[in-house]
Amino acid sequence: MSGFTISRRTMLAGSAMLLASTAMPAPGWAQTPKKGGRLVLAADSEPRNLNPAIVASNGVFFISSKIVETLAEASFDGKDGLAPRLALSWEGAADGLSVTFKLRDGVKWHDGKPFTSADVAFSALQIWKPLQNLGRTVFKDLASVDTPDDLTAVFKFSKPTPFQLIRNALPALSSVVPKHIYEVGKIEDNPANNAPIGTGPFKFGEYKAGQYYRLTRNTDYWGKDEPYLDEIIYQVLPDRTSAASALEAEEIQLAAFSAVPLADLDRISKVPGLKVISKGYEGLTYQLVVEINHRRKELADVKVRQAIAHAIDKDFVVKTVFLGYAATATGPVPKNDPQFYTADVPTYAFDVAKANALLDEAGYKKGADGNRFSLKLLPAPYFNETKQFGDYLRQALAAIGIDAQLVNNDSAAHIKAVYTDHAFDLAVGPPVFRGDPAISTTILVQSGIPDSVPFSNQGGYKNDALDALISKASETLDATARTDLYKEFQKEVATDLPLINVAEWSFISVARDTVGNIANNPRWAVSNWADTYLES
Amino acid sequence: MSALRRFLRTPEAVAGAILLAVLIAMALSASLLFPGDPQAIAGPALLPPFQDWSLPLGTDRLGRDVLAELFHGARTSLAVGLAAAAAALVVGAVVGTLAGFAGGLVDEVLMRITDAFQTVPSFLLALAFVSVVGPSLGVVAIALGTWTGPARVARAEVLSIRERDYVAGARVIGMHPLAIAFREVLPNALPPVLAMSSVIVAAAILTEAALSFLGLGDPNRVTWGGMISEGRAVLRTAPFLSIVPGIALVLTVLGVYLAGEGIVETTAVRRGLS
Repeated sequence: MSGFTISRRTMLAGSAMLLASTAMPAPGWAQTPKKGGRLVLAADSEPRNLNPAIVASNGVFFISSKIVETLAEASFDGKDGLAPRLALSWEGAADGLSVTFKLRDGVKWHDGKPFTSADVAFSALQIWKPLQNLGRTVFKDLASVDTPDDLTAVFKFSKPTPFQLIRNALPALSSVVPKHIYEVGKIEDNPANNAPIGTGPFKFGEYKAGQYYRLTRNTDYWGKDEPYLDEIIYQVLPDRTSAASALEAEEIQLAAFSAVPLADLDRISKVPGLKVISKGYEGLTYQLVVEINHRRKELADVKVRQAIAHAIDKDFVVKTVFLGYAATATGPVPKNDPQFYTADVPTYAFDVAKANALLDEAGYKKGADGNRFSLKLLPAPYFNETKQFGDYLRQALAAIGIDAQLVNNDSAAHIKAVYTDHAFDLAVGPPVFRGDPAISTTILVQSGIPDSVPFSNQGGYKNDALDALISKASETLDATARTDLYKEFQKEVATDLPLINVAEWSFISVARDTVGNIANNPRWAVSNWADTYLES
Repeated sequence: MSALRRFLRTPEAVAGAILLAVLIAMALSASLLFPGDPQAIAGPALLPPFQDWSLPLGTDRLGRDVLAELFHGARTSLAVGLAAAAAALVVGAVVGTLAGFAGGLVDEVLMRITDAFQTVPSFLLALAFVSVVGPSLGVVAIALGTWTGPARVARAEVLSIRERDYVAGARVIGMHPLAIAFREVLPNALPPVLAMSSVIVAAAILTEAALSFLGLGDPNRVTWGGMISEGRAVLRTAPFLSIVPGIALVLTVLGVYLAGEGIVETTAVRRGLS
């Protein structure tokens, strides 16, 4: 309860700060943030490459989003779910061949040089399009970027590209890095990849391997009075259980990205001075998915896939594996997505009898030992929850006479086994929904993807109708028509079940009461924290 | 009979024997007392022990019966421990006997191989082996690092035995050297090698638990190491999930060790007296 009221207060204060950041007077009722202080928080991984323009991943953003800014950030109440950062406005042409960005004036790089449209053009053409893991798809048709003046950048596309897609990609894919630093030498080897230089509210201080990252206040930041904090220290705590004890011992003030295990949250929420916050990750939804190898003749039969879907008790998974910190899924777009989600899809209620009947119908009768056939099940090792769901799925399949043998691998071996060698029958994967199905969702079911592309359709699934739908949506410029196509896409996926979506979850933050303006945007943990403050 | 009486007179040995007997009883009765899959979901998740008498030791994070898992885990621990120790003893005794009896180049080659295995910590060896070939050959992985001890002891014993008169006698009547080695020498070299077995079984059970703890065990079988590892995530809220299999592991290793020591002592006393 206390978590809810506090996060509502911070939400209100947060939206006030967003208004303030767009140069409007802050309403008097907002709690005034205090200046100064050092925020110490837990970091569970130590990315070596900190360049978010090349590696667009949450682990990198967690640290570098404070240093390197994007053109726009996700927002709870902004138009199209966006708030301006380095760009003040963005406009797509009706023919889908260009997008015009008006940039913020008076922004300086951390080394004192002015930020201009040339930096945006350089980042887009030299880094996002050729080098970035996600930008390669979204910006594949970007032909050139015109810079009529220092504060205007016009993206020109060789083929019509939906403006809705570009807009949705801005928060994660549009990190702008300085041209004058990166134009010398090879971009991948630039020292600024490990000690980034940006326009953000914090400058890169130092990194001690195995100990901490230190960011310091950027006194020249464009935001009025921002940032409030003097320093941010990322304390490296790779062991999950240590984050909770460090919070209790007041060694750290914040543990984001579920650094505190779900099972400990109930206990820790009762510790005075600590609050548990489940907001601030709406734009970073993970999906719990059963990946299916359609090369197995049993699994190529849609009846078998339906039977498996009926055998999974999604409510049990949410309640037991995720301890309630998740939602059941209906299809490939998560329920909390404001633009694309539709509930109008076939659903598969938990019904063991029906699952058994479907398998009988498909011709796979139970043998003398009660088994119909055996499968190899590979749960992804990245999260405790994916592994536990693997244990659960084995039991759920045993109830319908499918003998699943678990195979545990480390991360590298799992990626090789599933996405390169296809040595699986079922796999449990946690793909991320990134605000638009075209960014990283459609490749999970699309055919014709080369081998060994991780987190893509490597199950040999091919559905011409679905492929046609995906390619049509990629050329549809009108946002409403495009959204409708993706609703149809969800329906088709839920009908034919190329994969089974089980649940959707995101992360939990635990913070001391003194940390203000937490979770005030849908990507808070990976946003710039210019307005975050400490009360004492 | 007197050996048994002497064995029963040492209290540690008796305690060890009782622990071992309980463990064996658990392993044998697992399928009778808890038929079906011990990993099946049996009740509400994270039920503490002694709340519901149908699930006396409570349930884990998915609602699986901890007591059933404990019984079936005893079976895995014992099976893997004994199999790995047996493999290590057989390989060790054979290699040691060959090296000691043949001498010369064969001895040099076999002992250098033994040295090579001995210089790598046995747990690292098991870890590397399992991560390459997968968890199905866990027994081999554990035996890989433990056969060197028996090999060295067997060789030392053989070196002294091969000079005895009855070995010379066997040579004179024209027995094949291999027959002498394995029929005449090996049986007499065995007692000190077997004395190591309790330590090896205990080490094998611990190694198996450690491999499972690191997620390198067979996920389709219940293991105590795996149970401890799963319980670690909820150590603060449900410590019993790690403590219960932990205690079982400690008692097992202790039981094997004490019983083994008792046997060694009994036989040593008898030899000393004779």
